[in-house]
Amino acid sequence: MTALKVIPQLLCWAVLVPVMSRSLTGMATAVTAAAGFVVGVAGENLLLAYVGGELPFRPLRGVCGVIFLLLWGASVWALYRRGSKGSDAEAVSSPGPLAAGLAASATGVLAGALTLCRLAPLDGGAVRLVPYLSLACAGAVLALAATFPARYLPERLAPRGIPLLALVVSALMVMACSVQRLDIFSPLSMEVMKFIHDFVHQFFESMLIPDHPFFRSDVWGYIGLLFSDKVGLWGGLALWYLPVLFIALALRLERLPSVAHIRQGAARRKLLASFIHERRLRLVAPLFALVLLTGAAYQSRFPATEYWDPKPVEVTATPAGQIVIPKKGEMDLEDGKLHKFSYSQGGRQARFFVMLTPAGQLVTTLDACAICQPEGYGQAGNAVICYYCKTLIPLETVGKPGGCNPVPVPCSVKGDAVVIDAMTLLNTWESTVQVTAHGKGMGK
Amino acid sequence: MAAIIETSGLTRSYGDICALKPLDLCVPEGEWLTVMGHSGSGKSTLLNLLGGLDRPTGGSIQVRGTDLASLSEDGLARFRRDCVGIIFQQHHLIPYLTALENVMMSQYFHSVPDEAEARHALERVGLGHRLKNRPGELSGGEQQRVCIARAIINSPRLLLGDEPTGNLDHKSTTMVMELLRELRDEDRFSIVMVTHNQEVAAWGDRTIHMDDGCLVREERIKAC
Amino acid sequence: MNKRRWLAHIVFRALVHRRGRTLLLLAVLTLASSLATALGLVSASMRARVAEETRKYGANLVVVPESARVEVGSGGLHFGAIGEPAYLSQEQFLTALAKSGVKGDYSFHLEGALTLKGVEIPCEGVDFAQVRRLSPWWQVDGDWPREGEVLGGGDLTPRHHVHPGDLFEFGGGKGVVRTRVSGVVTTGGDEDDTLFIDLKELQEQMGRPGQVSEVRLLADPGNGSLKDQAALLQRHLSGAVVKELRQVGRTSEDLLGKVQLLMLLVTAVVLVTAGSSVAGTMSTTVLERGKEIGLMKAMGGSRWDLLKIFSAEALLLGVGAGVGGFLLGVVIAKFVAHSVFAADAALRLEFLPVAVGVSMLLALAGSVGPLLSVFRLDPVQSLRGE
Repeated sequence: MTALKVIPQLLCWAVLVPVMSRSLTGMATAVTAAAGFVVGVAGENLLLAYVGGELPFRPLRGVCGVIFLLLWGASVWALYRRGSKGSDAEAVSSPGPLAAGLAASATGVLAGALTLCRLAPLDGGAVRLVPYLSLACAGAVLALAATFPARYLPERLAPRGIPLLALVVSALMVMACSVQRLDIFSPLSMEVMKFIHDFVHQFFESMLIPDHPFFRSDVWGYIGLLFSDKVGLWGGLALWYLPVLFIALALRLERLPSVAHIRQGAARRKLLASFIHERRLRLVAPLFALVLLTGAAYQSRFPATEYWDPKPVEVTATPAGQIVIPKKGEMDLEDGKLHKFSYSQGGRQARFFVMLTPAGQLVTTLDACAICQPEGYGQAGNAVICYYCKTLIPLETVGKPGGCNPVPVPCSVKGDAVVIDAMTLLNTWESTVQVTAHGKGMGK
Repeated sequence: MAAIIETSGLTRSYGDICALKPLDLCVPEGEWLTVMGHSGSGKSTLLNLLGGLDRPTGGSIQVRGTDLASLSEDGLARFRRDCVGIIFQQHHLIPYLTALENVMMSQYFHSVPDEAEARHALERVGLGHRLKNRPGELSGGEQQRVCIARAIINSPRLLLGDEPTGNLDHKSTTMVMELLRELRDEDRFSIVMVTHNQEVAAWGDRTIHMDDGCLVREERIKAC
Repeated sequence: MNKRRWLAHIVFRALVHRRGRTLLLLAVLTLASSLATALGLVSASMRARVAEETRKYGANLVVVPESARVEVGSGGLHFGAIGEPAYLSQEQFLTALAKSGVKGDYSFHLEGALTLKGVEIPCEGVDFAQVRRLSPWWQVDGDWPREGEVLGGGDLTPRHHVHPGDLFEFGGGKGVVRTRVSGVVTTGGDEDDTLFIDLKELQEQMGRPGQVSEVRLLADPGNGSLKDQAALLQRHLSGAVVKELRQVGRTSEDLLGKVQLLMLLVTAVVLVTAGSSVAGTMSTTVLERGKEIGLMKAMGGSRWDLLKIFSAEALLLGVGAGVGGFLLGVVIAKFVAHSVFAADAALRLEFLPVAVGVSMLLALAGSVGPLLSVFRLDPVQSLRGE
């Protein structure tokens, strides 16, 4: 089971190393990468064991963000430089052994650390010895074994320079995005959404246009589109793909070689054809990078759930408008896990969960918080995680309001049952969701 | 002078019928070789083997140092597009393409189509005014000249002719042969041509006579 | 000229050269894809139509208490009921509905009687909002009742001089109900001699809070057969019987299934026929063009080059026929839906990729055999024949 979790990452690694060793300095690269992987695994596990908390993850996520920015920079540079292809392009294609070694080891360390994070237990602490050692071995063996298929990789297909960077970064993104706490795609799309939201706000404010009175409601409908979750996703996807697309475009727009000096027509055409063919082959690396990025975005969008996340049970209210859930009915409410319920009346619907806090108190909260989109929570060990912003909330604070904590709903324990007022629940849900979903205009 | 074609013990049989008995042939670079014989004497088989359209059943055949027997199907296609130009008796032009497009088709398989160059090639064979005509609108001699333009467009080192004048009258024949000689003098390619017309054979440097798959006689017309 | 554009150019030239055959292929492919599109469109709009029709007929399930009284007579000859009236708890029904997972709209009904000037009038307690949703055919003269108002049946007007806007005092319950009649309803059924009153009010008057004598349920026929849904609900309802109210829902659902199966079969047959006719035409074409193929091979075209040319031809035909087929299919679907089902088939753009996909696949599938022979063709033999 544990082994299955890291298969996508190891697969990425197994693809990455042969390409790198082919493009850089062969066997030496593979060995360096293998060493880097082992160091990365070991270092990350040490961090997990002795530092704990968020600290092992945050810098790693930062590094991922930085290399993604680096890719952006490189892509813009490539697009800018495409016209003046000359002797310096040759210099890029054959990096010195030192640079190659550095690149390989850095990639290895990052890959190792990222892969280990996938195995990190959700409730903190280090990875146990057996999976830890076997992961290190598997990574190293894969890297060394990769020199064998690398020999069969055609020289012309091996990417050089910036396309290689695109491939490496996108493979690392796949590794990062499969760990929810390292995922950088969903923060990206969230930032995009926030930016658009703030921008429109500021714009209206600076133009001294009051928000509501002057617009018909259908106009607001269109402006409201700017605030929907989709905008964040599509904007995020655009930022996600653009650098690699830029690189592909730069390759595609590379000028044809000058052939005017060749007298014989056939030889001239042959040269052109082979250049076009080569250019097409060089597009393979960026296109593959696009596939990898898609995989990363997919993983981030639909994470492999390893959280306790039961399907909401539908409940109904008594005629008096009370929702009564027995403590020891079909499920045991006091088993320390969250139990999701949904209640609907007419066209109104609310989702909530009930759980026993470590303090021994039964609390009822909405399956949504006051600031994020209502994507709900899952439980991981001694915390619940908000699926939207990936914040971990310790169980001790569940039931308290504020931040990304699930919004509490007043409830009372009467005998063997938890009693919630249906009207209060629906009203709380609606007021919360109306604020967070940004559905209609700006909730000023 | 280096040999462009070198065969040793080259044979080709279809089942029990032996179309080509062991043949040793050497064609120096730049030579115009004419192959004569009755139909069924194996001369077309020899031409197909030289053009990489067919594979020998025995012996070796080397064109510009490449052993054709060792090439794969796609390797042979590559050899045909890079090294050989073929002129057919029935012209074999693509009926729905214009003269220009027929020439460009050959460029397409070779590398990339280039209209200006194709036009130039047609002007060289004297068809500058017939670029946009379909083969059906051209006379036999004109069709054969399109065929020649198509054959030489990729600058092959070897031009193969399978009775190129078989369907032409006397006047056109002379015109085509003169054109061929002119082009050869400019581009210095070798020609191997199959014919049973003595007059046509006289244009070449050397003639070999074949009968029943065997080389029976050889005569040199001009010194190389 | 760019290689790709050249490929398109020569493929186009070849297609134009064989105008007749191209048109034939286009026609076959267009027909096939238009049929597929039309059947898909008709089937989709029929599903919507059936759902709408079912809705028009109102509730399709009814839940009554098990020991319900037997009504004797009906309409004007209403002799009353035999046996004690039984009741069903609203809450029990709602719980059962939630547990069974059956989805649908419902209305509660409580039958009783009130007196008007000493005469007993059958009356029914309902939630007007529910009834209005479930009985779209009710024609109300006047307004639907607001709070504290009642609705009279059409036959009450001649019998008891009930008109919209009148104030009446009804007795017979716990107290006297003084209320305004907001409108008169005519349905042509039993409802015409019933007085409709707010459910809560009647429950209070009869001293039966939270109880009803009948629940009508409009289960969504899209969620599986009505029979299954009834059985599912029955399992969670003890002391009550779930009956299928009308056969309409069931028959239309059966019919829909059968018609869809028929359409699927027809489409399959058409596709197979079209595919084989494409295959036939394509292989004749390839046979005819043997010399051309041999020539291309002799000019240095590799097998892949030729495969590319010929499959590009098939694909071009497929795309053209797909777009044409979609347009034709929409017209056919409109015609069929209009003349047979008296409904309008909505234009659905999502069928465009389906149509193009169908004709492209058909064209490619039909050309597999001929393409293989292109692949294997020997240039020497094909060039020799005169």
